[in-house]
Amino acid sequence: MNYLFQRLAMAVMLLLAVSALTFGGMNLLGDPLFNILGPVAADTSNPTSVAKIDAAKEKYYLDRPLPERYVRWLGDMVTGDFGVQFSSTGEPPVTNLLKERTPRTFQLLVLAQFMATAISIPWALIAAARVRRPTDRISTVTSFLLIALPNFALGIILKYLLGIKLGWFPLTYTASDPFFSRLHQLILPALTIALPAAAVYQRLLRTDLVTTLQEDFILMARSKGVPRRRVLVRHALRPSLFSFITVFGINTGALIGGSLIVETIFRVPGLGSAIVEAILREDFPVVLAIVMIATTTFVLVNIAVDLLYSVLDPRVRR
Amino acid sequence: MTPLQTEHRSDVDPLLQLDDVRTHFKTERGRVRAVDGVSLTLRRGRALGIVGESGSGKTVLSRTIMGLLPSTAEVTGSIRYSGTELIGRGRGGMRGFWGREMSMVFQNPMVSLNPVMKVGEQIAEPLRLHLGMSRSDAKATATRLLTDVRIPEPERRIDQYPHELSGGMRQRVMIAIALACGPSLLFADEPTTALDVTVQAQILELIAEQRRDRNMSVVLVTHDLGVVAGHTDDIAVMYGGKLVETAPTTLLFSEMRMPYTMSLLRSIPRLDDPSHTRLPVIAGRPPDLVAPPSGCRFAPRCAYARERCHQEEPPLVPTSHPDHLYACWYPVGSDEFNEREADLVRSGAVPVAIARGEQK
Amino acid sequence: MSEPSAETGVTVPMAAEPGRVQRRIGIGFWLSMSWIVLVVLAAVLAPWLPLKDPDANYIVTGTRPPYGPSWTHPFGTDQDARDLFSRVIFGARTSLIIGFVAISFGMIIGGGLGIIAGYYRKWVDRTISVVMLILLSFPALILAILITSLIDRGLFTISVTLGILAIAPVGRLARAATLSFAEREFVTAARSLGASNGRIIVRELLPNVVIPMAALALLGMAVAIVAEGGLAFLGLSIEKGFTWGKLILYGAGARDLERAPWISFAPILVLFITVLALNYAGDRIRDYFDVKEISL
Repeated sequence: MNYLFQRLAMAVMLLLAVSALTFGGMNLLGDPLFNILGPVAADTSNPTSVAKIDAAKEKYYLDRPLPERYVRWLGDMVTGDFGVQFSSTGEPPVTNLLKERTPRTFQLLVLAQFMATAISIPWALIAAARVRRPTDRISTVTSFLLIALPNFALGIILKYLLGIKLGWFPLTYTASDPFFSRLHQLILPALTIALPAAAVYQRLLRTDLVTTLQEDFILMARSKGVPRRRVLVRHALRPSLFSFITVFGINTGALIGGSLIVETIFRVPGLGSAIVEAILREDFPVVLAIVMIATTTFVLVNIAVDLLYSVLDPRVRR
Repeated sequence: MTPLQTEHRSDVDPLLQLDDVRTHFKTERGRVRAVDGVSLTLRRGRALGIVGESGSGKTVLSRTIMGLLPSTAEVTGSIRYSGTELIGRGRGGMRGFWGREMSMVFQNPMVSLNPVMKVGEQIAEPLRLHLGMSRSDAKATATRLLTDVRIPEPERRIDQYPHELSGGMRQRVMIAIALACGPSLLFADEPTTALDVTVQAQILELIAEQRRDRNMSVVLVTHDLGVVAGHTDDIAVMYGGKLVETAPTTLLFSEMRMPYTMSLLRSIPRLDDPSHTRLPVIAGRPPDLVAPPSGCRFAPRCAYARERCHQEEPPLVPTSHPDHLYACWYPVGSDEFNEREADLVRSGAVPVAIARGEQK
Repeated sequence: MSEPSAETGVTVPMAAEPGRVQRRIGIGFWLSMSWIVLVVLAAVLAPWLPLKDPDANYIVTGTRPPYGPSWTHPFGTDQDARDLFSRVIFGARTSLIIGFVAISFGMIIGGGLGIIAGYYRKWVDRTISVVMLILLSFPALILAILITSLIDRGLFTISVTLGILAIAPVGRLARAATLSFAEREFVTAARSLGASNGRIIVRELLPNVVIPMAALALLGMAVAIVAEGGLAFLGLSIEKGFTWGKLILYGAGARDLERAPWISFAPILVLFITVLALNYAGDRIRDYFDVKEISL
């Protein structure tokens, strides 16, 4: 419990640092006023413009010192209010955009991680069962290639092969389609994210499995007459999952980054495309919100991974 | 011990018969002759001790019989288990025997139990797999097995993980697992080496007791003649992948022929030794099994070896007692042996005499 | 070394064979290095090589580009009839510069911080470690997008931005390597001879930390080249000129992909082989010098 508390405290510190850096960086390097009003912001001779400028400053607290603005923003964010988008009218609220976009990216990532797990575990089991034999060597080379292949290249290859040549999957995402067609549309982008992740997981899991399979308790299980497959799955797999789940957590960060690109290739209007648009328009509240969502997810997944350890290994239970 | 000996005379049908068994491993350095022509017989309900240093091939021999070898192993010869040939069955063919007919207790209980499975599940697994028991039946049987191996509070222990148990307790759990499906043959590979001295005796006694209760045969693999002395009917001494002496236990201790057996016996610490007596160790190392020495394999380390020992390999021959076989040109008690022994005693290289007929 | 066998879980329990791990860097390493040298040479010498003009439109009258691969255009041409072969080589110039500058930046800053953290320990180490942790918890690509969009999208900014991403991984490795060397005899000896901290770091520690760093540099260069490609896909790569990423993007639309897959696939192929070569060479160096995997 104490340990969990420490982890949570650490996570909160981290999120504060990330948000402060992002907030400070954007406000110091960018020009919020210009981004809200456009060219009007520079037009200080025209009284209507000046009025607009004053109104915008008032509305977005731009006349206040930076730390105060940060604290205000932070206070709002903690209560679930990400403020409004940068625009002359101050509408719509960022939360609306998030409500629309977040589920898509979330579905994409969950599907991708699910696929990666579903691919990598059997793959690692097969490779480990045939260690240093041709099957295993081929699998090692395959995973090396997949890991080196950039996700945009893989995306294009999959799009070309499975989408265009074979026509199995649609090439783009249509937000208005029913749930299951959208899921179908998400398979190709999810696979693009999942394959390299599966290769990474497989490589780790295979190594750990090979080590576990040399343990005496595996020989013991065999001598009990437990069939080969059951020895692998029931006895060897669980004690071998530690590196796998550690990297599963760490990799979530990389996948969030990867999803930005993959969303662009397959035109999924998720958080990825939202943040790119927002950055190009220097729509700071949106950028901030998405950075916070991404980082929080990352941190939370890693805490969850820590808790999973104790489920997997009774020895670390307290 | 006596009732069993009478039983063995009446029981002529052997449970296990090995004939010229060879286990070779292909390695980059060449062929490792880990077991090189072993023949022996084990009768139902009897306990056999296989004794030798590490590297003598005793562990490989027991795993050869079980069929628990890596794929680099090549096994030839014949192993008949109650009349059925085991060699050449492959892994799939052996699985039917594992757990049900024969099972094994491993050396180190600390690492031989699955750390992430409850003790109860590990005992129940073979019950469910081989005997098709339901979950609740298997659990009840597992609890009873824990009682059999004298684990207190079995109902509580069954839901614990191995790390929550002491070493001796874990070895008892291993024995319970091995006994679960009522095998006819139990291998115990150095079952007490990793345990405290006080626990060792209890575990050996437990194995002996279960053997009597279940009329099961036991193969006890150890480097320690002291361990087999009180708990086996027969002893097979291995050196360099070969049998060098086999005999009924009492006979072996009273009339050992092989200098190697004698050296093993001398390396046992004895309670009546004055404290700080230096334990005689056998000088040198077991032979390289890729290129074993010509002649007797023990000759390079044998204090009694003569020219012939280095040239010709001694065959396994019986003494006056047909069950006592040994492989030595100049066995203990021969004139050549006595002559050399006298020299050695004079120079102070060996303790004055080996106690003869030492028995419990 | 006894041969462990996973399918049975048995370690052959006898006659230890003399344990010698094969320590050869292997032919794959030299193949990889040859490819890297070839690409670098082609990129450096591109203006003097007999290549087609990468910006000229080689339209054959009466036909419509894009043209497929042929003798005149080995990789084909793009929609504007520009020769893809020479575009890929000229693209290598920008991509490699970005990769090189990025990883150099990461090495100097990250390596420096890591060595300092590992050498001085205590609060210096703690401070630097916290900074690295914060850097690591930003999704990398988002950080890159933020910086490039807020500053500009020049070659230098993009390179340095990607270099910033390399700081944390490089720093962690350098720190770990320094920690393992800082207590060795030769460092203690130097210290007892009165060498200054700066001198110990430069003369004793740096040479030892360089090898694991070299392996990481090759991997990091691959990561930077790929990351630039990612930025290109988000429309955030350099504004002027072209890189491999931008070339791939040119042909990535569904219609172009269907009609003229070579527009994307030619640069993908070259990029992939290069990244593969960098990865493989880095892996081999790491294995050869027995560097522990510390994360990238």
